[in-house]
Amino acid sequence: MAQAVQKLVAKVPTLVGAAVTYSKPRLATFWHYARVELVPPSPAEIPKAIEGATNLVKAFQKGRLGQTTVKEAFRNGLVATEVLMWFYIGECIGKGGIIGYNV
Amino acid sequence: MAPPVAVSPLIKTARWSALLLGIFYGKQRFEYLKPIAEEERRIEEAEKKAREEQERIYKQLSEANSDTILK
Repeated sequence: MAQAVQKLVAKVPTLVGAAVTYSKPRLATFWHYARVELVPPSPAEIPKAIEGATNLVKAFQKGRLGQTTVKEAFRNGLVATEVLMWFYIGECIGKGGIIGYNV
Repeated sequence: MAPPVAVSPLIKTARWSALLLGIFYGKQRFEYLKPIAEEERRIEEAEKKAREEQERIYKQLSEANSDTILK
């Protein structure tokens, strides 16, 4: 039993090294995309966002809702679902746990 | 590798504001639920004590009343 534990402890540095070598390129790819796509909006982009939102509202009012294709509607639905998921992730962070409130 | 996509500013603002709103909402709800849960726990403790007291008395009475030759 003690020998097995010793062998395991001796293998830990190699395991850690293997994990690092495995994850390094994948982390690099993730970082490569996240640095452009996942960053928060810079202060210059916020007016553009507000403008985009008003455009959306105006297009709805002009009746373009009937002209959206199913493909467009599906894509917009996916984007809206993704934004909703960010809200739930924020809620998990705020309540300090993944499942349920630890009161 | 495909080049990274330029995400529209509306979507970016929507995502991050949803994240902040979610954090805020989670915190507020947690603070709202905490005293309610403590109150419930307190009441449960008191009721449990009363119930165990009852059970103890019942057991004692039943033991005193049972006349079996197996004792």
